[in-house]
Amino acid sequence: MSNREIEVDNLVKRYSGDVLAVDGVSFAVEAGQIFGFLGPNGAGKSTTIKILTSLALPSSGRATVGGFDVVTQANQVRQIMGVALQDIGLDSLMKSMELLTLQGQLFGANKGQAQARAKELLELVGLTEAVDRRVGTYSGGMRRRLDLALALVHEPEILFLDEPTTGLDPASRRDLWQEVKRLNQSLGMTIFLTTQYLEEADELADVVAIINRGRIVTEGSPAMLKAAVGNESINLAFDDRSVAEAAAVQLAGLATSIQVDRAVVRLYMEQAAGSIPAVINRLQEADISPISLTLTQPTLDDVFLQATGQSLVGQETEPALAV
Amino acid sequence: MTSQATSQPYMNAGPSGVHLPQQIALVTRRNLLAIFRTPEALIPPIAISVFFLLIYESTLGQAAGFVPGLSGNSYLGFILPLSIVSSALAGAGLAAQNLVRDIESGYFDKLLLTPVSRTALLLGPILAGAFILGIQTGIVIGVGLLMGLDPVTGPLGLLAVIGIAVLLGTGFAGFTVSAALGSGSAAVTQSAGFIFFPLTFLTASFVPLNLLDGWLATAAKINPITYVLQAMRETLNTGWNSSVLWQGVFACLILAIVMYALAVYALRVRTRRS
Repeated sequence: MSNREIEVDNLVKRYSGDVLAVDGVSFAVEAGQIFGFLGPNGAGKSTTIKILTSLALPSSGRATVGGFDVVTQANQVRQIMGVALQDIGLDSLMKSMELLTLQGQLFGANKGQAQARAKELLELVGLTEAVDRRVGTYSGGMRRRLDLALALVHEPEILFLDEPTTGLDPASRRDLWQEVKRLNQSLGMTIFLTTQYLEEADELADVVAIINRGRIVTEGSPAMLKAAVGNESINLAFDDRSVAEAAAVQLAGLATSIQVDRAVVRLYMEQAAGSIPAVINRLQEADISPISLTLTQPTLDDVFLQATGQSLVGQETEPALAV
Repeated sequence: MTSQATSQPYMNAGPSGVHLPQQIALVTRRNLLAIFRTPEALIPPIAISVFFLLIYESTLGQAAGFVPGLSGNSYLGFILPLSIVSSALAGAGLAAQNLVRDIESGYFDKLLLTPVSRTALLLGPILAGAFILGIQTGIVIGVGLLMGLDPVTGPLGLLAVIGIAVLLGTGFAGFTVSAALGSGSAAVTQSAGFIFFPLTFLTASFVPLNLLDGWLATAAKINPITYVLQAMRETLNTGWNSSVLWQGVFACLILAIVMYALAVYALRVRTRRS
């Protein structure tokens, strides 16, 4: 029915007052791929997904979903795509079975087919126990899972998820990740998701595009992006930013790249362990003492940091080895 | 998996055509379900209409002797339609309140992403509102019967009155649905209904049309409610009069069509992509 691909060509979205929410974004998602848009709040993720799901019009540029143009062929796009946005829209007076059945019927199934499909989906997202309760009594995690089920009723070939686990507890988050992976692996569903969480992009995406201020800054598989930054990093924490910056100057030349993130200096290089003595020597010569020294594998935060000069807010790297 | 087996129905769905009547039925049914799940919302409209009936009858029923051609039971038949019409907006507006709820919760946007036709999305709440008004009218008539109402045209006449009320309800519901779509706010939708309130009094409310004069008579003559009242009253008090009945039905139809057009426009504005 559709080619299960997404193609975006120089998409621009300008709001009144010349605010460029999306500034010339281009990318392609292959059939059966999980594609992640990673970026902080306000980067343009939600705007992009609204355009792709035919809810908003671009100011310029083209986008096709499943081979259909999102502007001129919106009806066809809606037929082959499923959407679960950040704001969950559910009728709190209805029961989950009723909502799912109605959705199926609106898409053309008869009552029996719609009910069977609803049961199937409730099992898939683990909501069979709450079938007879009104949606208004559901927890946040349950509502998100029902929202996902609702998006899947008509067996879409392409699924759009806008920040699917924001606000969820860790257990619900992991459950949702499992479901997304299952959908992709067993049904070959193409999935486009936006997120501000590194682990989510790392865990789920085949390809990650890092977006900041309306532009794609870098794109590639998580492994590839992290490898490009350097294999490992030595992280030195200092008292404050000025000390860190002074230290960074002293350490110039010892690493493939050096980044200063608040009061932490990160040195990216191939073989970090071997460079530790040299690093310590330089610091001693300059009479600068770090508070701590850790050795880590690069994360997508490092990728983001290197590409944009900022860290994704609230994220901290996990030390693999503490010295 | 079962993907192949169940993929068929979704291929058959189109935005309109074959599935339209079913779509309308689905949306209407859902609207009614939502209304009946908050039963306390049904109390004010029913209470208001019964209250109007009791108060009009008890305060004016005695004075009816001074009005030429009216007294006793036929004043009940004269005033019952007024109580129906005075409270019609409250009952017919319940569906619009649910529409506002859907807009606020975001569920309405979800519905817009399905192939459901815009016609069904509008007719759903409108028909639900009209249905509620039918029930409300039935209850008021029940109370009227208890108070001694004795329609000249018998039970069939009562059914005709309910039928006209339902038709009127589609117009009122259309208006409140437009307000809901236009504002997305419960408060505005509620207040918008009050525009109709004067309409129910700029009419032959307490005395027959031929006893009015001056500006009130003119206003009453162009007010569709006047013809609705006349149709109901004629059927209850005098007998079957096809021209009066048709005038009433026609007045309802005009109101319904105008309000539906307004609702279509409001929906178009709301769903316009930017």
